[in-house]
Amino acid sequence: MKPLQTLASLVLAFWVTFSFIQPAWAFCGFYVAKADTKLYNKASQVAIARDGKRTILTMENDYQGDVKDFAIVVPVPVLLKEEQVRVGDPKIMERLDSFSAPRLVEYFDSNPCDVVMADQLLLAAPSSASTGEAMNQAAQRRDALGVTVEAKFTVGEYDILLLSAKESGGLETWLIQNGYKMPPGARQLLQPYIRQQMKFFVAKVNLTEFDKSGFQSLRPLMIAYESPKFMLPIRLGMMNAQTDQDLIVYLLSPKGQIELTNYRTVKVPSDVEIPEFVKGEFGPFYQAMFQTAYTREDRRVGFLEYAWDMAGCDPCSADPLNYEELRKAGVFWLSPNQPTNVFITRLHVRYSRDKFPEDLMFQETSNRQQFQGRYILQHPYTGEMTCSAARDYKRSVRQRVERQVQTLAKLTGWNIQEIRKKARVADSEPEPWWERAFSSTFLGRMVDWWRS
Amino acid sequence: MFKDARDFQILALFLFLTLGLGTRDWTLRPDLILVTIATCLLTQWLATQISAKFSAPPSDSPTFSPRSALITSLGLCLLLRADHWWTVTIAACLAILSKFVFRFKEKHCFNPANFGMIAALLLTGDAWVSPGQWGADWWYALLFFGIGGLILQRVGRWDTTAAFFGSYALLEAGRNFWLGWTWDVYLHKLMSGSLLLFALFMVTDPRSIPNARTGRFVWAVMIALLTFILRNYFYVSTAILWALFVLSPLTIALDILWPAPRFRWTATVTESEPESAPTPTPAFL
Repeated sequence: MKPLQTLASLVLAFWVTFSFIQPAWAFCGFYVAKADTKLYNKASQVAIARDGKRTILTMENDYQGDVKDFAIVVPVPVLLKEEQVRVGDPKIMERLDSFSAPRLVEYFDSNPCDVVMADQLLLAAPSSASTGEAMNQAAQRRDALGVTVEAKFTVGEYDILLLSAKESGGLETWLIQNGYKMPPGARQLLQPYIRQQMKFFVAKVNLTEFDKSGFQSLRPLMIAYESPKFMLPIRLGMMNAQTDQDLIVYLLSPKGQIELTNYRTVKVPSDVEIPEFVKGEFGPFYQAMFQTAYTREDRRVGFLEYAWDMAGCDPCSADPLNYEELRKAGVFWLSPNQPTNVFITRLHVRYSRDKFPEDLMFQETSNRQQFQGRYILQHPYTGEMTCSAARDYKRSVRQRVERQVQTLAKLTGWNIQEIRKKARVADSEPEPWWERAFSSTFLGRMVDWWRS
Repeated sequence: MFKDARDFQILALFLFLTLGLGTRDWTLRPDLILVTIATCLLTQWLATQISAKFSAPPSDSPTFSPRSALITSLGLCLLLRADHWWTVTIAACLAILSKFVFRFKEKHCFNPANFGMIAALLLTGDAWVSPGQWGADWWYALLFFGIGGLILQRVGRWDTTAAFFGSYALLEAGRNFWLGWTWDVYLHKLMSGSLLLFALFMVTDPRSIPNARTGRFVWAVMIALLTFILRNYFYVSTAILWALFVLSPLTIALDILWPAPRFRWTATVTESEPESAPTPTPAFL
């Protein structure tokens, strides 16, 4: 049994968070705290840079409450040493988000009377996930409960503890005695992780260090480990969740796309033309479209939002990350002045207890097909048009707008009449009824000839 | 048409491929499908010609069987993914050649499609298998069981699927119970479309599995055990393919241990054959 146990002990990280204030658990313990400018109400962001068995995992921390109330507990496969834990750059998740976010692209029709056509491209990208959070306090050695404090150190503004536990009841009691408010059912859910020989990584804020750091909010926590298991835990976060939760995972690999192995990985609808008015409501559009796709897939798939070689982008919603930024995102296999060898996969998983019973398992593939969530606005030419081609052009624009209206209704589930009304505002000149009647007749062609 | 059970097999695999392309988000390229099928057929034809030339007496020489090549190629299309055409060419070519090179007493040492996939994974660095591609929907499970059941009834290889799936389900149940997971975790694992496809269509290939029922039972249980270990303790996402690949050659030993008449595609089966003797059956993935 020993080799099996040794192997089981290599099992990778799961995360768990407990809170004094609220008995809610989320993936990595992060909750959305700022819903004002963010797209999703409940979302966590994680970046995983992985090459072979080596992994650097960054957990975004957007906790908005009082820092003294913050705590996070992360089960890890091996005992982490002080050198394996770091605080990350607070801006790095934002950079990854903006680089990989689904994008709105605008094109402008040129004057149909001009011979040369030209495109102009603008970009707008929605921001995405965010988080918020919980806390803790003391940690002491309690042998009687089977919980051992394996290591204790301070990294940046965090006090870190590494715990090992013999059984879930003991760990639950220890955590309660140390001030964590445990949600009901915690004991049952901790057991599988303990039985896989996990250690528990506990972080709380060291107020003195936090004040010294001068930062206004908590920085991301990064951990480095080596394990053959490539997964993310989501079960614990669903323990008392009332609604679906969003998780955005940025997976960075030197090889190619990373996909889920125990759920389907599905591309979000992309490369579709939508009406012009969506420019003003891209956030609601993307949310409605995502929700429709999620429901259509029976709420049991992970969505691919972006897959791209990070050496470039086309079109770019943000500048590609430079060498320094990639290092900050955990990419450890790059050397300076070498070509960027990083492939990013952005997965968006909206999970609920009934459809996602298992933790997420991943695999690296050599799939280098690039994909982006891209939505197109095609603006009609609005200047003066003084040629016969203008009539055909206007007709084609009307048909195009109708197609866009139908696409939008299908993608979002919005009421088609309302979409039509909004789309028509932009296209203020309705087609005269006689134009359609005459368009294909001899008389119509004569009128065109006369006009020209 | 459809006198040979392999025709049903081809139809079923073609249906799955169409269904997968139509309803699942597969990144499968039509050009690679064509390359795979063409390579399999061409290699099969060439290898048949060459082996016919060198075999003695001529009556023993194999005849060109497009059905078998088609089944292998459809199996590869369903499971193997690659970026470049040369990767699928290598996989298809080696899959068919394995039937001619690695054979013992007219039996294949490896399942051809399985051999092709492992060869591509090992040799190219460009191939991958997506175990999550079918999801875990109940209606796919029913479809696979329905069609798989119909074909396996003709094949007489239900015992192998039952032994593999039964023992794997038991092992996972034991682990699930020990870890203390809820049972929906267990069901989700077992409902995986890829696992069912494997259990019903790949592990039951009558040309590369033991002839005797006892041998097949022992063999299937061993594959289940190895799959379980590779998946849960070594975190290999394609555990099932590696387990089959590693244990396939054991068929030779098991056939010696528990002898039974060898499987033949086109043999006339007589009433007097023992229970374990197969009836004319399809080739499998």
